[in-house]
Amino acid sequence: MIFLLTACGEEEKPAIDLEYPEIIDTENTFPVQCSIVERGGKIQFKALFRDNVELGGYSLDIHHNFDHHTHSTEVNDCNQNPIKTAVDPMLFIQTYTIPTGLAEYEAEAEIDVPSDIDPGDYHFMIRLTDKEGWQTIQGISIKIE
Amino acid sequence: MIPFTLLFSGLFSIGEAEGISLMESEIAQVSNSKTTYGIDSINHAQTDTTSKIRELDEVLVIDQAEMIRREESNSIQLLKQDFIRENRGGSLMNSLERVPGISMIGIGSGASKPLIRGLGFNQVMVVENGIKHEGQQWGADHGLEVDQYAADQIMIIKGPSSFKYGSDAIAGVIDIREKLPPTEDGFGGSIEVGYRSNNAWFGGSANLFARKNKWFAEGRVTLADYGDFKVPTDSVFVYDFGVVLHQGQVRNSAGKELDFSVRAGYLGKHFRNTFSVSSVSTKSGFFANAHGLEPRQVDTELHDRSSRDIMLPFQEVRHTKVINKSNYAVGNSFIQLDLGYQRNDRKEWSQYVNHGYMPASYPSEMLYPSDLERAFDKEVFSFNLKDELFLDTHEIAFGASGEYQHNDIGGWGFLIPAFQQYSYGFYAIDKFKFSPIWQLTAALRYDHSRIDVEEYQDWFPSVDDASQVRESDYLYRAEEFQRDFNSLIWSVGFNFTPGDLILKGNLGTSFRMPIAKELAANGVNYHYFRYELGNADLSPERSLQFDLGAELKKEKWLVSFSPFVNYFSNYIYLNPTARLDILYGAGNQVFNYTQAEVLRYGAELSVIHQLTEKLSFEFVGEYVYSEQKSGAKRGYTLPFSPPPSGILNATYKPSYKGVFSNPYVAVDFRITADQSDVVPPEKVTPSYQLVNLRVGSGITVLQQQIQVDAQVQNLFNTLYLNHTSFYRLINLPEAGRNITLSLSYQF
Repeated sequence: MIFLLTACGEEEKPAIDLEYPEIIDTENTFPVQCSIVERGGKIQFKALFRDNVELGGYSLDIHHNFDHHTHSTEVNDCNQNPIKTAVDPMLFIQTYTIPTGLAEYEAEAEIDVPSDIDPGDYHFMIRLTDKEGWQTIQGISIKIE
Repeated sequence: MIPFTLLFSGLFSIGEAEGISLMESEIAQVSNSKTTYGIDSINHAQTDTTSKIRELDEVLVIDQAEMIRREESNSIQLLKQDFIRENRGGSLMNSLERVPGISMIGIGSGASKPLIRGLGFNQVMVVENGIKHEGQQWGADHGLEVDQYAADQIMIIKGPSSFKYGSDAIAGVIDIREKLPPTEDGFGGSIEVGYRSNNAWFGGSANLFARKNKWFAEGRVTLADYGDFKVPTDSVFVYDFGVVLHQGQVRNSAGKELDFSVRAGYLGKHFRNTFSVSSVSTKSGFFANAHGLEPRQVDTELHDRSSRDIMLPFQEVRHTKVINKSNYAVGNSFIQLDLGYQRNDRKEWSQYVNHGYMPASYPSEMLYPSDLERAFDKEVFSFNLKDELFLDTHEIAFGASGEYQHNDIGGWGFLIPAFQQYSYGFYAIDKFKFSPIWQLTAALRYDHSRIDVEEYQDWFPSVDDASQVRESDYLYRAEEFQRDFNSLIWSVGFNFTPGDLILKGNLGTSFRMPIAKELAANGVNYHYFRYELGNADLSPERSLQFDLGAELKKEKWLVSFSPFVNYFSNYIYLNPTARLDILYGAGNQVFNYTQAEVLRYGAELSVIHQLTEKLSFEFVGEYVYSEQKSGAKRGYTLPFSPPPSGILNATYKPSYKGVFSNPYVAVDFRITADQSDVVPPEKVTPSYQLVNLRVGSGITVLQQQIQVDAQVQNLFNTLYLNHTSFYRLINLPEAGRNITLSLSYQF
């Protein structure tokens, strides 16, 4: 038994990554907490992603928050409109790839905001993974007017 | 046989009165038969040996604890009523946390599930009164539906025991037994009441029994009601989202429980039959600010009005069991048949929140109410048949077991599909005592199982624009399929028991059939924001384990050490990938079930030193190391790996005469190391130290004896995180100081 344990201990253990990828705020970052976008316009998404080893992928998700449930990972809340029932809210889910081998990546995406959707409080979610499967989620409250 | 038993009961005569009285009556019986001399006496002696062992096997009498430890080659821990009572927690599994090698996945204050040497869920089998307990073991937020007051004795097998118990016993077994039937004619009962300060828990249990000649009957009712539990902080951060806790209360973690059981039976000299019906019903809230790991904005004023109300989200479970146990002793053979039916009816209630492509408003034409998030309805029929033969130097057991499961699902959420499953197995075990101090055990088992998974189609289309929906946009989360599994396993063990030393070892294989979730999950688990993807091609999990147990009793020392090495050729693992899935996964990270080689090793150590007649010291410690040796997470550990920990204990038992009987005072100092060996999505958990106090005594009031036990858990109200807790990922600390009081009275 002791021999077996020692034998196991001596074997070279592969280095493991224990760090989450980061979503870094820069002056170009958009949207930020409480950003306002217009119906019929575009959201010019910009963010800086960084990982200690290698980035994986990311997804963006916009869904309504008329019922004031929250995914927000930002502490301050924006002046929310009263709770209301959704009729035809905007829904956007998209997955993006990050070129392989990158530890830092400036993500950019353009999202159309339809003109016929319900205005109000929305959540803008960023999910970022690294190669090892660590995931960082950032939820931002935005308003569509 | 007789001197043996006497010797052991002498050494361990700390047991319950009923155990001793049973022993005495048995001994009287044996002595009587010994008065007949002649040729018959051999036969008589043999019959009596059989019935003696029959008692051992059927009802685990703790006075024979040492004998069981000597004769079983697995690492076994036996706990009796006293231990459970003195360490009573919010749930039965909480009460076991002190046992080295055992840790808990806690969810709130009233529910938890066991981990044995770091493995849990479907890898640990819980057996209650001979029948495998079937709940929803796969869910981290699902507790164990067992009445903690009905549990009288618990046998914990650390390490694989599939050869005896079947699939799922790959990491170990928690075998819970209720009280023995009354041994004498008459009528009696017990009442226990308790209070826990942290969550204002009050509850209790009442039990009545009667015996007339060979017939007996018994009944029990257990009630508990508790408020939100308190943590030693006034705010927590769910991710970065700050949550203010009103008076440190974990919002909406209140709950209640109502259990009952009835039992009746016939106790003949050769034939015995017991029929029992039991029901455990619980309703408990989830932390309202984080359903699963999703931060929620809640009406704090509404929630904080009362700390005892249970609002959304909450879970309701009703577990019903009907068990018939019979046994028959004939010649040198002892036959047992256990038949069981159980139903686990679970409902998880939560406000409808549209995630991913779900419609913004809940459609009124839906089959389920808008707040029924998930429902699971499981029915299980099972049997165990066993024939034991007691020969000169061999003890041979043949057994067969079978099970049929029917699983339905409901609610607007989807995690696992409905499925049907059946399995059967055969085994043989031979214990060969080839010398008074040497015993060998060998076992072989074959199992077959089949699972039929039903299809599941989303009730909503996965499209951005609801006006252009095609039939194919209603995604199939599960396709109908069928899998068959076969498994052949073996085990060999030895016991070497010269005098004060017990040395034993076990080498064997074990298996576990993949469960429906592992084979067929295909949906977003919004509790964790992850898209879980099953793999219909998984093969049964196999493990090879070598464990040793050494126990030395010398004068005032009792030292036991149990190391193990364990290798899985194909551990089933939910692997977090870098991928995010747009369609089925609604933008969430993909976690897929894969199989990887895993090496684990560890040990438990226990040292007891009886310094004086009244004062004793104890150290118990546990260590487990796991490493994935292949696959995408090569080099990483396994999820829920408990950090190394130890307990230093001092117990003082003054020898009072008079009003107090058997008083005790005990201090536990628990030291838990940090856990920096983590795997995505886990976080490094810092170390902590806790002090727990226990004090108790029998008190004679008006010539009646009442047992009083009190505990102070987390004496210094320490703020700490438990690495294996369900809420660890959202940094929710564990409960603060808790004073418990329990009174019990037997009549």
